Amino acid sequence: MPPRKNDDYMEVASDDSLPSDVDEVYNGKSKGKGKGKATERKTREKGKSKNNEQPYAWEASYVRSWDTVQEDEAGSLQGAVEDLIARNRRRRLLAPSTAIRRTIIRHLVLVLDLSSSMMDRDMRPTRFDLMLEYARSFISEWFDQNPLGQIGIVGMRSGIAERIGEMSGNPQDVLKTISERHKLEPAGDPSLQNAVEMARGSMSHLPTHSSREIIIIFGSLTTVDPGNIHDTLDACVKDRIRIAVVALAAEMKICRDLCDKTGGSFGVALNDGHFKDLLFELIPPPAQRAVSRAAGAGAGTSNPTADLMMMGFPTRLPNTSAPALCVCHSDLKSEGFLCPRCSAKLCDVPTDCDICGLMIVSSPHLARSYHHLFPVKPYSAVVDGAKVSPSNACTGCSSSFSKSSASSTITDGVSPFGRYKCPDCKNDFCTDCDVFVHDVVHCCPGCGK
Amino acid sequence: MEKQEIEPSSHLSVIIDLSPTQWHLASLQNNNELQPQSSQQVLTFRSFITQTLAFLNSHLALKHENTLAVYGALPGKSVLLYSPTVPKSETEDISADANSYLPFKVLDNAVTTRIGEELDALRDEDEEAPCDLVGALTKSLCYINKLLTSTPATLDATTPPPEPRIVIMSVSPDQSASYIPLMNSIFSAQKLKVTIDVCKVFGPDAVFLQQAAYLTGGAYIYLERRDALLQHLMMTFLPPPSIRRLLVVPTQDKVDFRAACFCHKTIVDIGFVCSVCLSSTSPSKSVQFVSQKLMAYLLQFVQFSVNLSQSVQPVGTSIFLW
Repeated sequence: MPPRKNDDYMEVASDDSLPSDVDEVYNGKSKGKGKGKATERKTREKGKSKNNEQPYAWEASYVRSWDTVQEDEAGSLQGAVEDLIARNRRRRLLAPSTAIRRTIIRHLVLVLDLSSSMMDRDMRPTRFDLMLEYARSFISEWFDQNPLGQIGIVGMRSGIAERIGEMSGNPQDVLKTISERHKLEPAGDPSLQNAVEMARGSMSHLPTHSSREIIIIFGSLTTVDPGNIHDTLDACVKDRIRIAVVALAAEMKICRDLCDKTGGSFGVALNDGHFKDLLFELIPPPAQRAVSRAAGAGAGTSNPTADLMMMGFPTRLPNTSAPALCVCHSDLKSEGFLCPRCSAKLCDVPTDCDICGLMIVSSPHLARSYHHLFPVKPYSAVVDGAKVSPSNACTGCSSSFSKSSASSTITDGVSPFGRYKCPDCKNDFCTDCDVFVHDVVHCCPGCGK
Repeated sequence: MEKQEIEPSSHLSVIIDLSPTQWHLASLQNNNELQPQSSQQVLTFRSFITQTLAFLNSHLALKHENTLAVYGALPGKSVLLYSPTVPKSETEDISADANSYLPFKVLDNAVTTRIGEELDALRDEDEEAPCDLVGALTKSLCYINKLLTSTPATLDATTPPPEPRIVIMSVSPDQSASYIPLMNSIFSAQKLKVTIDVCKVFGPDAVFLQQAAYLTGGAYIYLERRDALLQHLMMTFLPPPSIRRLLVVPTQDKVDFRAACFCHKTIVDIGFVCSVCLSSTSPSKSVQFVSQKLMAYLLQFVQFSVNLSQSVQPVGTSIFLW
């Protein structure tokens, strides 16, 4: 069919010509090509030059991200890289150093936008594929840091909310629900209200000590709601549900309101990397809100949210035990865990026992959450050359420090000597170890705390 | 030309527990009451070091690219005994010897002299302090992290990064105070895909180290015949983890993952766990009392910290916080 073929060509051609079009527009701007456009712009600029601001993003000068990275005299990017590290350090220093109460038992509903706007290609390959990819890594990382939490998944498609995955504490189960791409094919419009109502409904039964959170990945600029979404918002505030939105397109007033009123965070992803950053910032357990504490004090009790939860510590069956059917998959296996209350055989912990509903954990899972409660103290940067300690090797990795200062410009929070000192044991650490100790190990090699 | 898959080199970090008290006990003849099944053989520190050095040499001999770092866990501190990157002291003069391979000699010299120096520097009152195993473990993890992240530019992309693993030679019993930092190190080892192997040379079974080996996919061996140390090391810990999948390496069947309640210090099957600080209590009459006490503690949540946990004796996999 020749016409069809032509269509295809057209599509390809238009795809290719898109960037050059953009270039032309920018060229036109700077060099004054294209009379009609130029005059039109001139008149507009006249009015604008007085208040000296650019009202629209697309009228701003074309920012090239590679221009912001500056090479030093030797032509290396070391300075730029150090600046990035410094920014990370500063962000860590902003975090409160004393122990704060964090919600350890978390319940989260991840709301995925499955509307047709997710097929946009502004993020490669598509917003939808990128979202699925990041959602998967988000879920594994989330369970890694919050082993006692549970995740449910809700999709927004064709104006309704769909329950994609039930609330579950097993990462494999959750990942399985979003593993099949063809079942999640985007279509129609999203409905924020329906999705939030469904998520709220699935968390209504939860006890007060657990956190209730909704994370919405939102790619559309519209929402199709059956009623007043502000009523839903008020209900969420009443239920103490925290809503966080990661928008892929642009900021919407209602999304901002949802986050601000419920105490969540809102962010618009600029690009792929920023999308991932925004999503992964939501992984560490949030500090418990002062609201609950104040309410407890008002009621006269010490704290209403400190509850005792019943948990079972299972017996592990070794590889050599007699095979038996597990209750979760009905598979014949010799390995497994025995529920201490009903002696049912389970494949994996942590989970809720399928027979008696007891929460089954093992003690390492509890221990995994401890580093949120006892963070490592931030190291202070060694700035003063006179106070450099005599040791000439990093306490962590034993690599030697450079004798002279690496960079002449002193940035806030960055040591010119590449040395960072632990406030407790007074040992010096290199930049790599500083980041590694605080982000991964959560235990200082010098003082063992 | 057929594309040949390059076997990755392996990095080995060995942590040697250098507790003078425990090594003294191990070298005594009459400790039958303590360890009846393994008391026939006496392992002195000297023979232990000789056998360990033979094991380290064979790791270096296995592949030219293999690297090695040796850490010592001393009472109250941890030191790096040997690593290829650390510049050797100037006083050390290693002359070539026709009868020995130079890298072996460098390693042997460095390890023995450093151990001697560190043990001589110990004062009498320090000797009773618990060994800083966690410090040595975190240092070796930092070292491995540096090794994995800073791959030299000279290596081409086809060379796979080295396979890291850690072998702990332990003689000291568990310390309950170091439970949380030890668990943190284990989880970061899991993240870095570092296998932790444990060889318990002397003393009672170390439950924490059993968990470390289990969680990182390593092997835990309790040395029942101590004169066969070298054989155990060679058969179990020499092959890197990728090869070990093809071998039958002793595994552990009975790793205890239950938690102990903090009120009676008994191991519980079903317990009540505080939703804020994750301490567990047993389901008994005293729960009411305990929870009141717990509330009181929660008000001063900021104050309670690890120093409270130091008074607690290890019971199973205790997870006490006070």
